Amino acid sequence: MDLKFKLTLLIALLMSVVTHAQSSFSVTGIVTSDADKQTLPGVSILNLKTKKGATTDFDGKYTITANSGDVLEFSFLGFKTQRITIKNQTTLNVGLIEDSNTLDEVVVVGYGTQKKSHLTGAISKVKNVNLDQIAVARVDDALVGQVSGVQIAATEGEAGSDPTIRIRGIGSITGELSPLIVVDGLVVDNDYLSALDMNSVDSFEILKDAASTAIYGSRGARGVIMITTKQGKDGKPRFSYNTFSGFKTARQSDAYYLTVAETAAAELAATGALSDRTRYKQLIGVDTNWQDIIFDGGIITNHSFSVRGGSKNTKYSASLNYLHDEGVLLTDDFKKYNFNLKLDTKVSDKLSLGFRITPTFTDRRRFDGSTHDILRQPSWLPVYLDENTIQFVNRFRDNGKYANVQVGDYAIQRMFDDYDLVNGMPDDGSDGTISGTDISNTSNTNPAAKVLERDRTDDKFKIFGSMFAKYKINDNLSFRTSFGGDFQHTKNRRWQGVEAHRNGAANTQLDLANTNRYHFVTESYFTYDRAFGDHEVNAVVGMGAESWRTEINASSGGGYTSDLIQTLSAADPTTITSFSQDYEERLISYFGRLNYSFKDGKYLASLSLRTDGSSVFGPNNKYGFFPAASIGWGLHKEDFLSEVDAIKTLKLRVSYGVTGNKDLRTFPRNFQVESYPYLALLGPSSAVFDGGTLSNGINPLNVANPDLRWEKSIEFNPGIDFGLFNNVITGSFDYYIKRSEDLIIDNPISYTTGQASSLINIGQVENKGFELELRTRNMVKENFRWTSTLIASRNENTLLDFADSNGQIQNVDSKRAAEWINLVGNPISSFYGWVVDEEIPLEFINDPYHPIGAQAQDVYVKDLNGDGIIDDDDKTILGDPYPDLVWSFANNFNIGNVDISFMFQGSHGAQVRNMGDQYIYNHFNSAQDYISATTPNQEFIREKIFTNHIIQDASYIALRNVNIGYNFNYDLLDKVGLTSARVYVTGQNLLYLTADDYTGFNPESINTTVPGTYGYQRAGSPVFSTVSLGVNIEF
Amino acid sequence: MKTLTKIIIAVITVSFFSCSDDFLEPVPSSVLSDANYFNTPEEVETAVINIYDGIQGVNSTSTNDNHGIMYEFYLTEMRSDNTRTKASEGEAAQFENYSITTNNGIVQDYYASFYNVIYRSNIVLANLDVAGSSAAAFEAEAKFTRAYAYFNLVRLFGDIPLIDKIISPEDKVTAYTRVPTSDIYELIVSDLQTAVSGLQDGSKYRASKAAAETLLAKVYLTLNRYSEAQTLLESVMNPGRGFALEANFKDVFFNEGNNEIIFAIGYVGDTTDSQNFSAEWLNAVGRTSGVNYVTEEARLALDALGGNRAMYSYRQDITQPSQYQVVKYIPDGDTNLGINPTSTDPTKAGNDWIVLRYSDVLLMHVEAIMAGGLSTTSSNALSSFQLVRDRAGLTTPVASISRQELLDERRVELAFENHRLFDLIRMGEAESTLSAFSNANGYSFTSTDLLLPIPQRERNLSNGLLGQNPGY
Repeated sequence: MDLKFKLTLLIALLMSVVTHAQSSFSVTGIVTSDADKQTLPGVSILNLKTKKGATTDFDGKYTITANSGDVLEFSFLGFKTQRITIKNQTTLNVGLIEDSNTLDEVVVVGYGTQKKSHLTGAISKVKNVNLDQIAVARVDDALVGQVSGVQIAATEGEAGSDPTIRIRGIGSITGELSPLIVVDGLVVDNDYLSALDMNSVDSFEILKDAASTAIYGSRGARGVIMITTKQGKDGKPRFSYNTFSGFKTARQSDAYYLTVAETAAAELAATGALSDRTRYKQLIGVDTNWQDIIFDGGIITNHSFSVRGGSKNTKYSASLNYLHDEGVLLTDDFKKYNFNLKLDTKVSDKLSLGFRITPTFTDRRRFDGSTHDILRQPSWLPVYLDENTIQFVNRFRDNGKYANVQVGDYAIQRMFDDYDLVNGMPDDGSDGTISGTDISNTSNTNPAAKVLERDRTDDKFKIFGSMFAKYKINDNLSFRTSFGGDFQHTKNRRWQGVEAHRNGAANTQLDLANTNRYHFVTESYFTYDRAFGDHEVNAVVGMGAESWRTEINASSGGGYTSDLIQTLSAADPTTITSFSQDYEERLISYFGRLNYSFKDGKYLASLSLRTDGSSVFGPNNKYGFFPAASIGWGLHKEDFLSEVDAIKTLKLRVSYGVTGNKDLRTFPRNFQVESYPYLALLGPSSAVFDGGTLSNGINPLNVANPDLRWEKSIEFNPGIDFGLFNNVITGSFDYYIKRSEDLIIDNPISYTTGQASSLINIGQVENKGFELELRTRNMVKENFRWTSTLIASRNENTLLDFADSNGQIQNVDSKRAAEWINLVGNPISSFYGWVVDEEIPLEFINDPYHPIGAQAQDVYVKDLNGDGIIDDDDKTILGDPYPDLVWSFANNFNIGNVDISFMFQGSHGAQVRNMGDQYIYNHFNSAQDYISATTPNQEFIREKIFTNHIIQDASYIALRNVNIGYNFNYDLLDKVGLTSARVYVTGQNLLYLTADDYTGFNPESINTTVPGTYGYQRAGSPVFSTVSLGVNIEF
Repeated sequence: MKTLTKIIIAVITVSFFSCSDDFLEPVPSSVLSDANYFNTPEEVETAVINIYDGIQGVNSTSTNDNHGIMYEFYLTEMRSDNTRTKASEGEAAQFENYSITTNNGIVQDYYASFYNVIYRSNIVLANLDVAGSSAAAFEAEAKFTRAYAYFNLVRLFGDIPLIDKIISPEDKVTAYTRVPTSDIYELIVSDLQTAVSGLQDGSKYRASKAAAETLLAKVYLTLNRYSEAQTLLESVMNPGRGFALEANFKDVFFNEGNNEIIFAIGYVGDTTDSQNFSAEWLNAVGRTSGVNYVTEEARLALDALGGNRAMYSYRQDITQPSQYQVVKYIPDGDTNLGINPTSTDPTKAGNDWIVLRYSDVLLMHVEAIMAGGLSTTSSNALSSFQLVRDRAGLTTPVASISRQELLDERRVELAFENHRLFDLIRMGEAESTLSAFSNANGYSFTSTDLLLPIPQRERNLSNGLLGQNPGY
């Protein structure tokens, strides 16, 4: 319906071409660069009405014929295109403004802005150029591959789920790792990214090195993402509407589609006959591909409408956004409703005020299951019983548990056991016992039921508001004060219905949790700007305060006998439990920065200082101090280079700084200990005494550490920015070495102390690497333009000190205790275990053809130290989950009205522990044991889970984005009252290549993102590709 | 204009600086700070209650929680000839086939849990000065629980660190020095003596005089101090104390707080104070596919010697008829046996865990009289023994009791109640019995398997200070 309407509109646009004549005259003028007033030769001028063109000559002069009311378009490489309407004038001199991609753009930094040419730190800027056309649900998803040094991985692929963002590696173990998010100058929660509408974003600035982030002090160590939203402009209201609709499909794993037919063929080939079980499975006649069932694909739709405008003194921007992402998983769904209002007004020459309010509602339904658990179900099992499959149900077994099943009921594996193959019917026990061929390998209910019979939603309402006042004290000095806050209400609801559970444990449950989070922030600072002679000085000094308060109320109930009333009131009253807690955090900051430039960027220096006081730390270490300094040298301004035409800009810069991290992330999360780690805390406990009565006690929660202090990162970052051949090639190269020390570690202590761990500052981690950003204008001709961007980053992570935890071996799941080691000299959380020597031949496996697709659970491993036995000394580091190289390569072509862009993106060198194999190939099943009577060299056999058998190469190369757009001609649009219109087709992940040994469907998927056991993949959710069609109009 | 600037600066400066000290120290509202607590007897009592919370353990499947007594069956029944896993799956299977690794998470959990119980007890002992008139009672109670924890630990791990007060993480010498078992027993005996004299009968879910006497008697039996044990047991057997066997064996387990119970750990179904071990014993109802499944040996013993106890001790697994499950502590009921569920959700079961009960007292009484001998014909012993058998419907009187008969009787009476392994060890029959069992089942028992490994995690942290038991 929607799409149809849009198409009709477009056709109408195309048809409305009307020509009409009028008396024409000559317009002449000179085109110059607005910044330096240099004349510009070769500028193309196009009369949009007559389609006639001209170019400026060597002196920047042009002549073109036009009518009154015609629109002239001035375009030149490296400059912003301008359109000017002719009103009878015959002379029109134009000053073109340099385009954002060149070095003189302004970059948003902490508490201010800076000319890009004057930057001495490592900051990448991403303008929202067509980013809002990428059919993804979240702004961070669209940033993949756009910036060097930033890794954005779709670790969880559900609709609306947050990707894992890491800037320059992992520099903390018990601290927050995601970058700090700052929107229009105010710090917001990381979760804010889920609520933002890309259409209202103007640009992203990513602050990477310590010199750039130290102004954010105790939160700077993990990098900062500054988001600037679009602002209103002078003039009449400009309306803009952007919409797209796309189809998402999941990338399936062929390796995980295990068919009855293939297993039967393998068995026949190997043994010359089929076992009863296999014959029975064939008889049922079903070959379900569970990936088809749970990866149901979906549609993503977006509508964004905005109006921006204003007068000389007051500017406004308002936008509405609706996004609906159905996700590719069964049941997952994400809806976002966003409103954004931004108002700036100049009260007087001295005083200006700004207001902003952004209410957002997100409504997310989860995929409340585990793909690994579903995909390990055999393919002979249908989802629902039909006329055929119901014949195989044994209505007698398990005391007649399945006596009353009907067509349309969920098929459960156990129903199919005890089949009498000889008589071709379920065994009825007429011979005394119910026995026959068993093919079930779990008592679980149907995998689809686990998902469909649960309803888990996360609904969030957020409102972010802020206001500021800016007062110009004199020409050089101004004062700005702002106050902002965000309120978040989250409602988590989880319903587990009567059919959601495995056999024998019909435990229905309703869980409800309400979380309120209040965040207030106020900041005030003076800005001093002055240029005198060759000197330019910019200084900022100010202070800020922030507070966060969180309240959690949760309750749950069970004992439901139907799905009809899903409220706590309908629960069995004895099962209702509830829980609540509050916690609070506060921060006070003092900061200052001094930037100095000599001769417009020939020599540059910057110094920043920040002191933070935090409620997280005790009186001994409440305040932290974060200094940074950087210098730059504009070599192109030196005489010896000024004659070198090839070099337009060349800047060397070096930065050094200290940043911090104060946000604790204990595992498992204990918000009280995270908030007050310096206090010895006592929490509630309870015990059951006579008569089943509960008595309340108190229990120590932690070992207090009054000396706990900030994590500290010290970073050294030399870099180079260059623009060659008249900025045909521009780019930057950075090297960094960041040592994070005093890391807060939840250090294990002896259990005899009564506690398991205590928070102390001791660990050290080093991240070093390089980043390259290279942008080229390969070809620029009339009606043709081709540009490319190459981005590459490399990071190397090394654990330098891990105190008593050095050599610590951890697992995620004690039942499947594959090991990680944190060993000094290696990356954090390296995979650890034995090395596979060879597979055990199938002849030695108990039952190699059941369940479907099963593999031996064991394997021969290597005796690495050659002592003739396999023990812990033969274990070694098997790899690590961190990529060595992440890159992207983008190309943009403009051919007349058509533009085409595409980006390849890749990651290399990371590994993943794909526990999906363990489940899907039934590695843990006793049927897959070796036969102890006959198998040779049993002393060299170990379970695959403890070896590199499931350590797989997580490298990938993806065609991340393709965008093909058509921009309608102005004269055409004018007829229908539009100022611009674009129709586009985009694609995401249309090509996605993984390593040969990778069996899963998403190498980026990670089950837990805890640093100690990073890289655990349990099938996860798939990579999806999207094809979408969109329209963007303005009027 | 200058004035305005000054005003702005002044306002901001004042508003920030004036409140910064308070501002940066918000008072926690959901938890207490230790610094302002433990001022009254009532507050000390909350620390006493907390000890039982520790024994009870956390009903979760997280490896980060202490599961207290919920995991005890793995280390005791599953290392004896009574039970095993259903499918030899995961680290739980290490217990039955005697291949326990030093980083077994269940062993580590138990070690952590019971040192945590000791810690919680020591908190009470450290705050007796504000307990007023309750000080003596709280001391007795905390010493009972501390002794109980040590008694379990010393029997499972042998030489272990001795912690008799709160220690800081820096006190690594105390934390990692293994003290000979005799020293541990000295503390246990002394603590229990204090408990016996300081406690009264009354509660079955908190320490009582009877519980202290029974536990001390068991300690004395372990230390071959038979006459002291006998005196204590006869004290508990005094009819005035009010303990007696339940007429119906089923009611011992499904009529909670009955007269037979001397000390139990309480749980309430469907709450956070519920337990999940019962669900693990079923077919894929808990997190495992089924553990603590009944061995053929235990089943045959129950069939032969259990009398009417057998049907309330084990049953056929309805979904896998070749397998057998424990009936005692069953969470979701059994209509054939007339047992009701103790909770709506079986993984949040309400079945209490019985630590000490009267038939144990009676059989220990026989053991005390036998005094390490191979048999007894003492009429006192025979009458205690007969009481237990009569209830099981085995009313034919016996004229003498051999050690093996006593062991067998304890096995079928107390099956799946975590006594079997300790009984075998205490009576000196563990090596022969378990070797035979191991050989019959293709397991790899050796005598060093009678002690568990000291958790590798603790040894790694100790920098070589903490040794390991032989065989690991």
